[in-house]
Amino acid sequence: MKTRTTLIILLALLTAISPVFAGGSKEAKADDGLTHIEMWYNATQTEVGPLPNDWVGYDILRDMGIELDASSLPSSTTDQDMKVQAAAAANELPDFFVANREVWVRLANNGMLADVTDLYELMPERTAIMFDQDAINFTTIDGRSYGFATPSIITMNEGLVIRKDWLDNLGLEVPTTLDELFDVMYAFTYNDPDGNGRNDTWGYGAFIEETIYESYPGRRFEPLMGAFGVDGTWDMSKDSFGLQIHKPEFYDYMVFMKKIIDAGVIDPNWMAYKKDDFRAAWKQGKFGIMREQNAALHAQNNYAPFDANFPEGEWIVIEPPYGPTGLRSVGPAVRGLRIWCISADAADAGKAEKICELFEWMAHDEGYFLCGWGQEGINYVLDENGIPVSTEGDIGFEGPIGQTYIQLRSMAFNYTSETELLSRYPVYTCENSGKEMSALWTLRDMQSKTWTPANGMDSMPIPGNDLKTYYQQGLAEFFTGARELTPENWQAFIDQLDKLGATAWEQEGYDYAVANSYLV
Amino acid sequence: MDGKNLRDKNYWGKLKKDVARQKWIYMLIVLPLVYYFIFKYIPLWNAQIAFRNFKSVRYGITTSPWVGMENFYEFVTSHYFWSLIRNTLMYSVGKIIVSLPLSIILAIAIYECRHGALRKVVQTLAYLPHFLSWVIMYGILLSLFAPGDGIINDLIKFFGGQPIDFLTNAKAFPWLVIFSDAWKEMGWSAIIFIAALMGIDVSLFEAAMVEGANSWQRVKYITFPAIKPVIVTVLLLKIGTIFEAGFNQIFMLYSPAVYSVGDIIDTWVYRQGLLEGQFGLATAAGLFKGLIGMLLLFLSNYLSKKYTESSLF
Repeated sequence: MKTRTTLIILLALLTAISPVFAGGSKEAKADDGLTHIEMWYNATQTEVGPLPNDWVGYDILRDMGIELDASSLPSSTTDQDMKVQAAAAANELPDFFVANREVWVRLANNGMLADVTDLYELMPERTAIMFDQDAINFTTIDGRSYGFATPSIITMNEGLVIRKDWLDNLGLEVPTTLDELFDVMYAFTYNDPDGNGRNDTWGYGAFIEETIYESYPGRRFEPLMGAFGVDGTWDMSKDSFGLQIHKPEFYDYMVFMKKIIDAGVIDPNWMAYKKDDFRAAWKQGKFGIMREQNAALHAQNNYAPFDANFPEGEWIVIEPPYGPTGLRSVGPAVRGLRIWCISADAADAGKAEKICELFEWMAHDEGYFLCGWGQEGINYVLDENGIPVSTEGDIGFEGPIGQTYIQLRSMAFNYTSETELLSRYPVYTCENSGKEMSALWTLRDMQSKTWTPANGMDSMPIPGNDLKTYYQQGLAEFFTGARELTPENWQAFIDQLDKLGATAWEQEGYDYAVANSYLV
Repeated sequence: MDGKNLRDKNYWGKLKKDVARQKWIYMLIVLPLVYYFIFKYIPLWNAQIAFRNFKSVRYGITTSPWVGMENFYEFVTSHYFWSLIRNTLMYSVGKIIVSLPLSIILAIAIYECRHGALRKVVQTLAYLPHFLSWVIMYGILLSLFAPGDGIINDLIKFFGGQPIDFLTNAKAFPWLVIFSDAWKEMGWSAIIFIAALMGIDVSLFEAAMVEGANSWQRVKYITFPAIKPVIVTVLLLKIGTIFEAGFNQIFMLYSPAVYSVGDIIDTWVYRQGLLEGQFGLATAAGLFKGLIGMLLLFLSNYLSKKYTESSLF
């Protein structure tokens, strides 16, 4: 009796710990004749739930012989990178997943990705729409392609914007030069532009947002860097190729940054803000000039809180200011490609062709509309111009439930078609101010401004960790005053940067840019 | 058979008998042992990637080429090595110096409090921050310390001072880290001391009161000596993890402006190991931390045994 009890307890213990050993047994598949594809995607809306189990696409794909297991990646790109890299180290990469180029480079170099060079021909429709030579170059190493570079954003969808109502209140004109911009920042900070009698506003607002081609302090400052011709990480011109930080004009830009910081005309929280804090801040009327994205600014749901707080408020898109040598730019214009990868394991397991079939289906009408807008008549209806319009209520593709059915939108959209744009950014009437608005108008306005052509800048080599850390830390310390910004200190900083590998990084960048004909 | 062997034999014989007699009690230890075996000992096998040029499990751990001490060499010759060590120790030691006495004081204060309701309220309020994640804490700290509209800076400005950007000022940042940690964890850390205090024989206090000892004297001569072994134990355990400076906290709070005083070994490992995919290097840094921690633990245990007659083992 006692022995039996002991055995039962031991069995229970073993059962309890068995999941530890069972974890990651990805070879265990049901023998149902379907090709099982595990996919990690970038969700359209991370705030709503994942793709529901009753998504009709699953049934359609089963008829095609595909059992899709789709999981959403985390919302922030840093978390995405970490998840994918940790999975790669543990050899737990999904069959099909999306990655940033930085991560893709490492995975491709480590032999974790399938060679897809010969797979493009299996996707004629998608290839015709998305995979031109530049896109293929984006994922090519030594003549072989290791992923499908697809558009992930609308290009040039950001702009320098300013509070027109504040300009009007203070009797100021739209600034056109850097000096005028500084004067407006100053007035916005010290002359009570909102007329509330309190000293609670600032001229410029920003937060740190770096990308592979927009180094510290990043994207939100590009219009200021553009005035000195040092926007973007790299100068991609034939005559003066190199890291922008090596150019003498970069020091001039630093001096201007220090000037606005010392004058107190930039929201002092800019170094501490995360993206959401920044966006909450402009909606609360804390600053009057910033670089912002069209939809984040003027899409109906995003604009509503600002409209409620400031019915008389108005943000307008302006040309970036001219700098001392007559240069100006909103920032580097890149295509914004992300890479869909097939893991080497999936290719070894013979899944690559089915993955291409899945991807191609999403580029054809059935998959395209299903991923982009959901089911016709349920999640959307077509208007008289053939543009999908969200149905009323929660189930419409703009409603909280309907949004879950379009989580794979980024896999289908090409981000350029009029249908997509008109559907995503409809004209609407603001609830409080009664103004008629559309984020598409804002987009067109932003795209019409001055940008720096930067083809290939988002695929340039990346610096090592210590070099990147030193780069960020050095600039930050000049901004905060921890290091005094003098020509001598700046040169000492650049010297140390070179010692840590900046010169080698620059040479690597040059070789890459020449090899890929990116120099202009 | 010499005396030692006889003693050993007696010991194991006694233990065997004891286990046979109290087997259900001993069964309780099985789960923790299984846990430690699976999650702490089996993974040690993978620590060998610190000595290999490891890329992925796909190409195997044991088949990755040996690189000897190369990963360790890369870590210790990194441009940031000494500042990482300095910062890590600064936060670990700083947190011990600030948090440990505060926890002890709080525990004694709660123990000495004679108003039951007040004691419970204080205890609950002190525990509460422990259950908040550092993401939430970051939001709270930002609203308190933001230079633009933080409550603390509003007060500073109200009294005519210049606002301080605590989160990006290299002088203020370490204090913010240490004291925010103390605030968050003080109540939770006090639990173990309160438990020790509960074990003190009440008659000692009664006798002391009869002898005319005041509150401070009772704390000094009864309470404090009674919990001294627990304090030593906690201190030794903390020394063993001296290179654990609080990744979650610093990762949430730091930024490039305070890398010089904010970057610790764990945040560097996160960037270098996980974000850059250099798992061998990250493991080498982890092993380095563990080995130094173990050496310090043995050393401090020895010193504690020698000078205070309290020790872990």
